[in-house]
Amino acid sequence: MVTIDLGAVPVRDANEQIRKHGKAGENVEIVNPDARHHIGVGLTAPIDVHIRGSAGYFCAGLTDQATFTIDNNVGWGLGDNIYSGTVIVGGNAGAIPAVGIRGANIIIKGNMGSRAGQVMKAGTLLCAGNANFMAGYMLYGGRIIILGDSGERVGEDMTGGEIFVGGRVQDLGSDAELTDMSSQEDESIREFLDRFEIPFNGSFQKIVNAGKKLRYGSPERQMRSLPFFTFSGGSSYWNAKVQEDIHIKSQSGRYRIRGYGTARALPHLSDLAFARDLSRSVGTADVISKVQMYTEIGGINGANPLKLSMPVMVAPMSYGALSRSTKHAIGLASAMSDIAENTGEGGMSDAQRNAAKQLIFQCLGGRLGWNIHDMKRADGLEIYISQGAKPGLGGQLMAKKVTQELADIRGIPAGIDLRSPSRHPDILGADDLVIKIEEFREATGYRLPVSVKLGAGRVRDDIKIAVKDGFDFIELDGMQGSTGAGSSEVIDFVGIPTLAAIIEAEEALAEIGRRQDIQIVLMGGMRDGVDAVKGLCLGADAVAFGTSVIIAGGCIACMQCHVGQCVTGIATQDPAHEKRYQPEVEAQNIHRFFESVRWQIAALTHALGYDDVRKLSRNDLVALTPEAAAITGLPYEPAPRKRSAEALAG
Amino acid sequence: MCGIAGILFKHEVPGLTTGQALIDMLDGCQHRGPDSTGFALYDGAHSGQLKLRFFVGEAEAAQEAIARIRRALDEHDAKIVEEETIGNNYRVIVDFNGNLQKFSYAIEHAAKVISIGSSLEIVKDVGSAAEVDARYEVNKVHGSHGLGHVRLATESDVKPEASHPFWATGFADIAIVHNGQITNYWKMRRRLERRGFEFTTDNDSELIAVYLADKLSQGLPLKDALQTSIEDLDGTFSFLVSTDREIGYAKDRLAAKPMVMYENDDLVAVASEEVSLNKLFPGQALQTREPLPGTFATWSRSI
Repeated sequence: MVTIDLGAVPVRDANEQIRKHGKAGENVEIVNPDARHHIGVGLTAPIDVHIRGSAGYFCAGLTDQATFTIDNNVGWGLGDNIYSGTVIVGGNAGAIPAVGIRGANIIIKGNMGSRAGQVMKAGTLLCAGNANFMAGYMLYGGRIIILGDSGERVGEDMTGGEIFVGGRVQDLGSDAELTDMSSQEDESIREFLDRFEIPFNGSFQKIVNAGKKLRYGSPERQMRSLPFFTFSGGSSYWNAKVQEDIHIKSQSGRYRIRGYGTARALPHLSDLAFARDLSRSVGTADVISKVQMYTEIGGINGANPLKLSMPVMVAPMSYGALSRSTKHAIGLASAMSDIAENTGEGGMSDAQRNAAKQLIFQCLGGRLGWNIHDMKRADGLEIYISQGAKPGLGGQLMAKKVTQELADIRGIPAGIDLRSPSRHPDILGADDLVIKIEEFREATGYRLPVSVKLGAGRVRDDIKIAVKDGFDFIELDGMQGSTGAGSSEVIDFVGIPTLAAIIEAEEALAEIGRRQDIQIVLMGGMRDGVDAVKGLCLGADAVAFGTSVIIAGGCIACMQCHVGQCVTGIATQDPAHEKRYQPEVEAQNIHRFFESVRWQIAALTHALGYDDVRKLSRNDLVALTPEAAAITGLPYEPAPRKRSAEALAG
Repeated sequence: MCGIAGILFKHEVPGLTTGQALIDMLDGCQHRGPDSTGFALYDGAHSGQLKLRFFVGEAEAAQEAIARIRRALDEHDAKIVEEETIGNNYRVIVDFNGNLQKFSYAIEHAAKVISIGSSLEIVKDVGSAAEVDARYEVNKVHGSHGLGHVRLATESDVKPEASHPFWATGFADIAIVHNGQITNYWKMRRRLERRGFEFTTDNDSELIAVYLADKLSQGLPLKDALQTSIEDLDGTFSFLVSTDREIGYAKDRLAAKPMVMYENDDLVAVASEEVSLNKLFPGQALQTREPLPGTFATWSRSI
């Protein structure tokens, strides 16, 4: 047994020591913990850690196989996302104990705080005292045993798992109901109590999901949908799309769900032009060798940066919305073009990890697929707050798409209608976010860049918070970004256009004089290298492509993404559909698309008279429409540009 | 977005001032709010006297502001007993027996008021607890109780006047520190404005302070005012309030913001995180308690 004194050793150093002792198989005792945060985070070895006193937030979080004993109290997020292992708390636990756990036994001898077991997926959470508000909120699986009283709204919006209450059931949450329990279940609980020597002679009541909320009684009538490109950007009053929507709604009686992004005509990068006539200079041969495009993203606070051969990334798209084969193809293409790929929600597949040279691992509120092992093999970590296509909203993956393989990787039961929450259990404000970021850094030894994905909403405030919270970079997503599924009303009428988002972000950082402290990756409707260059001119450090990547990889925009019957095998989990997809072939197609982007970025940068993409600035742009001029503050110059002497010479 | 702390000593504890206890507690949760730090302190009341603190800025601007304040004090029959300039603050003690609400609204037009009270003084500025202490010597302040706050500015600027604690504009000796967001801010503010109350910021924490002060001035005990606040205020909040005699807390019904408390024979301490409480008792396992959602409580020396 090794003793670590937290009165003398900072938590960061202590965690490194704990992991080292873990590798050596040596047990650890922590003295003077004094409720400090992040104790033991990221430990993946079967050792015992004994904390003599109280621990703070995220104690034993993001661990696997270890046993933690805490003599006194713990703060928020006890055992966050544990894969397997045991945690025993002698006193009380703060809010969200056992949040998102994938397995493990968590025993709290005192009371526990609100939202215990939120988005928990497997394992057992036992509280010998009383639970607080909304225990089992959005529970996906596993069991929660409460020997005392349940607290209010127990089982709120749970979709799977079981809650057993030995005391009083004060108040059932929405979509939760009491049901009979079997003698086997009772025996299993008694056995568990005996194992951890917790006396209890009372009886239990069992709470499960009632299944009455968020179920679609009848599917949308199948009809030949209009492909996205036939209605995107249109603006007339009555057209075939309006007619189609009315027909479908007249049958279903509810709003429509669809994939892709906004179809409305909004001010966008195409409403900008370059300030000089480039027609003479663009023809220069071999421009790629003449322009510096290599870009590092995420290294400004000392983490290992992503090393991009050009200021371009793949935007986050989930394995779930997209098939495994598609994620595989995108991973291969990103490696061929030497840029970074992103897991999106729903976990990291081996195929994707092995294909992509650099991979960002995205963490959402449901913590679906999130786990310490994949964090450690990622090249960057991303906290998703929202996305441009449906800012502030969660999502739903229909049961049909939740196959066994998909469920395994997400850590949930197969075949459930999967609610993906709109907010994180442990991020209810900028103050919580600071502590969350540090947890991720502690778990991965401060090696990986940590970024935040923000769907453009209150950009000015959000960007300032992101920089103050110490993120390494921001992925800023505008309203022209796409989604696998969203209400069409939201996709078309909620959000801030990409153009406005980057302008507001730059202004916000200028206001607080912190532009140099963060990098911005802009996304939301990037279609080619021309859009990319305009984004860079407006201040982005890099841009990310999503929709154009899947189009390059075979998408025909047939609008069946949300139902899982994609004929090209992209937005489906049905093996019969997926087998049509050829990852190696499509990877080449996506790679060639990225190479066209590379050439366009180089050619335009060169034509503007620069040898480095970092020299691009907003002075290189003008606005073609009054709206774009109003948004960007760029000069409104719809007339053809005069050829400058410089451009002629080039 | 922030961290909060409050302490009430049941009796004198040798070697520990209220100021120092709050500095230690805020140092423990500074990660929750690196932008600014503030304290509400209560010490040495004299009947018939008021202590006023103002932000006056620096150099010439400060001289002009002080001149305006002096004129305004004179106009309202407030006689200066003592005055000094500390950091960007002008602190003045006056003899005053008039209508405080009218007086403070008028004074507010002369310069930015930080606090007015017979014993309350609010000290707040940009920087950490240690930095603010170095500027204003908070550690030297005794008194039976006080509040503290660290702030991460989200929607308003990083300015000393936007930091906490907030004084209940127009009501002596009432201060508040708050973690969270009041979502029916404008509705509640307009309701109070229609009744003649003035607000000096757009910060939702000032609203809570004025709301409670209004209830107290109607004769409600502090705990009843806290109870109605949980019903009337919408949003996520954990807040602490102090008067010249008591401290109290209220917590929203959604339990979205943290709060932990500890009580022994000497003191009651409340903070966002247990790590702050342990700063007062290093190396000890404390029997702390997390208040339930939708609850409130008050403490005073007399109980």
